Amino acid sequence: MAPFGGWEMPISYASGTIAEHMACRATAAMFDVSHLGTVVLETGNAFDDLQRTLTNDLGKIAPGRTQYTHLLNRDGGVVDDIIIWWVSENNIQVMPNASNTDGVLNALNGGRDITNERAIIAVQGPTARSAVSKVAPDVVRIKRRTVAEIQCAGVNCTVAGTGYTGEDGVELAVPAGDAPRVWDSLLEAGVTPAGLGARDTLRLEAGLPLHGHELGPTISPLEAGLGWVVAWDKAQFVGREALQSQRENGVQRTLVGVATVGRRPPRDGATIEVNGEQVGIVTSGNYSPVLGHGIALGFVAPQKTTGPCEIRVRDTVLSGSFVPLPFVAHRG
Amino acid sequence: MDTPSDLRYTSDHEWVRIEGDVATIGITDYAQDALGDVVFVQLPSAGSTVKATASISEVESTKSVSDIYAPLSGEVIEVNEALEADPSVLNSDAYGKGWIFKVRISDPSEISTLLSASDYEDLLGKS
Repeated sequence: MAPFGGWEMPISYASGTIAEHMACRATAAMFDVSHLGTVVLETGNAFDDLQRTLTNDLGKIAPGRTQYTHLLNRDGGVVDDIIIWWVSENNIQVMPNASNTDGVLNALNGGRDITNERAIIAVQGPTARSAVSKVAPDVVRIKRRTVAEIQCAGVNCTVAGTGYTGEDGVELAVPAGDAPRVWDSLLEAGVTPAGLGARDTLRLEAGLPLHGHELGPTISPLEAGLGWVVAWDKAQFVGREALQSQRENGVQRTLVGVATVGRRPPRDGATIEVNGEQVGIVTSGNYSPVLGHGIALGFVAPQKTTGPCEIRVRDTVLSGSFVPLPFVAHRG
Repeated sequence: MDTPSDLRYTSDHEWVRIEGDVATIGITDYAQDALGDVVFVQLPSAGSTVKATASISEVESTKSVSDIYAPLSGEVIEVNEALEADPSVLNSDAYGKGWIFKVRISDPSEISTLLSASDYEDLLGKS
């Protein structure tokens, strides 16, 4: 177990990070992601409040759909990256990262924090849906990026076709007291429990950003290659002026993927070099269980994003090359 | 945790098997469990001379990197090259196929600085 944003989280279960990772790619794995916050907005103003605050356009979706979006600061930096579950007309659930729930509550002028009332179980992988259907037959209704209330193991749950692994799958918000029973029934259905370690290596292979690494208060969505999260059609959202200026003047750095030769993991903080000259820095790196070599995300000067490069880890130089993201194709 | 009684140990969680003037070195069951899945081992160079307590190798898991220290001074006479292709044996067989390197001991008096199995178990009990 390891402390994580005020929660005690398992790094791995008995089978170990790599076996858990491969189970998610080959069959189905489940993660306890209860540390994600949930703030429920139930008033008629919720839609307008979110539109004025967050970068994405909620008008592009409707009740029963989900959306990935950002909360920025005035400088255009990412305070948090958020998933919205628009469950029904007057039930919009805003899900920030573990430690950012209070900041999001402040930015939204209220909302009800129900984080401690529910657990969230993410079931991910090519057989995730068929496994979940054994305990929740209605899961067939939950298409990618949709959300609905259905019964799981006899309990009313809110279930969304979302995830953070690059695989198909669903996330189940379960009343906290019923979570052990739902977890156990999924275990019986053959789903492999997986910890934070596999969650991180999976999202890294999928090229998905982690707040505190590829996103943060001094990193803009444009730098992180997430321009699609920004709805320029909207006249207002927090940070729009700063981001507009960055859009017009160009970014100073851009997020890239680097594949390295050999098994040695590149690590957060290592330098990225081209012909011996530093061009950037690694923000996340590890060994890729699927590819069998090192992979890294990092920021480099925008003109240095193709061809060979090296990553310097302490006194060792790993040869590598810039590669398109994701490292492992999404199937969800 | 498995702590074979015929081996010696260090407080840095290495095990040492002494056969004549040759010491075979690896990481303990406790160490492999704490590290998690090992994905890379940087082997020392065969033929190099090492001094006791010097850092001579690194073991990397999916979650962290850990230094390996030479428990005894001497010449590295063999390294476990099979670890380059499959470092996971450090997890599955820490005291067997997971050995990392062998040293020809140059100063046998250093052997007395190593921990016995029961000393090492006491150390784990306190940590």
